[in-house]
Amino acid sequence: MRTFLDQGYTHFTGVPCSLLKGMFRILDAPDFPGRYLPAPREDTAVGVASGLTLAGKKSLVLMQNSGLGYSLNVLTSFTLIYDVHLPLVVSWRGHDGNDAVEHDVIGRELTSLLDVFDLPWTVLDNRAPERSAEEFLGLHDGGRRTAVLIVKEGV
Amino acid sequence: MLDIREAITAVLARDPSALTVTTCGYITRDVYNIADRARNFYLVGSMGMAGPIGLGIALADPDRRVVVFDGDGSFAMNLGCLPMIAEHRPDLVHVVLDNGAHESTGGQRTAALGDPVALALAAGYAAAHRVETLDELATLDLTRTPALVHVPCRPRDHAAGRRVALTPQELVSRFRTEIGVSVTADTGVAADTPVPADSPVPADNRVPAGAERRNA
Repeated sequence: MRTFLDQGYTHFTGVPCSLLKGMFRILDAPDFPGRYLPAPREDTAVGVASGLTLAGKKSLVLMQNSGLGYSLNVLTSFTLIYDVHLPLVVSWRGHDGNDAVEHDVIGRELTSLLDVFDLPWTVLDNRAPERSAEEFLGLHDGGRRTAVLIVKEGV
Repeated sequence: MLDIREAITAVLARDPSALTVTTCGYITRDVYNIADRARNFYLVGSMGMAGPIGLGIALADPDRRVVVFDGDGSFAMNLGCLPMIAEHRPDLVHVVLDNGAHESTGGQRTAALGDPVALALAAGYAAAHRVETLDELATLDLTRTPALVHVPCRPRDHAAGRRVALTPQELVSRFRTEIGVSVTADTGVAADTPVPADSPVPADNRVPAGAERRNA
């Protein structure tokens, strides 16, 4: 989170996931210097972050991988055709096929789905989070790509 | 009931300096053909996202008013965004042009909508109005925002206007220029990507064909 703030990110939106609860705890803290905008659904979070980014505010979206399904329409019919790109932090429930059943299919297919839509991704290394965050923002390429930081282990 | 184009014209006339976001389909095409301006931001897809995108634009600079044009179908598609919009008190006027139909796809009737005014108030909007005449639309008090304006309209009796000729990237670029957002890598905001001189596709032919195909 410090890396994102240091890189000028001011607005944060999304829908929580248990794997991301540490990040959401920071967003919700009274002394968090950025602005956290809780969203009712992940595609709405992508929409709000898109409006902010369009108008010049660096914004980050956080979601569970289940929310990627809801977000596919806005990603394919807005983000990827207007070239208003976002960095997305996406958890990876179901990555080992040993999670609650509702995560099995999206967990199995997450990286294939990202590859189908040509969204560059990297997996968070919990032992070196700053390096992973920098790599992720490198994939975002100054706003030219919609990149995904996959969070596999809880943070 | 009002003609949808007259309703759009009346809204634009009251707040000529407002930034405008239009939902996909015929509403984008109507606004484009009535008054194309750099501060109009047209969606060609992403039905249901005009409200969230308008909220983001409004939060980026609280001194700017944003007018969102939704249809009854696109409004119904994302009622979930209403409390989120209300929570942040943006200077946003959410206009719902309600002709009871998905006209862009052939005039099929829309799903039940309930009462948009009551929905907006229950979600926490500062004000919500149902407006049936151009006089009411012109004199409505829209100082308290976010505000919803529900405008029952009759089905279009005009042909859909021209599709937006600008590419999505051109819409982004001129909108950012209009509101003074610089487009450098340093801001994290995508810079224009020039077409390489050796591009196999001439720049002029790049997107219109695809845009024609895609736009409803």
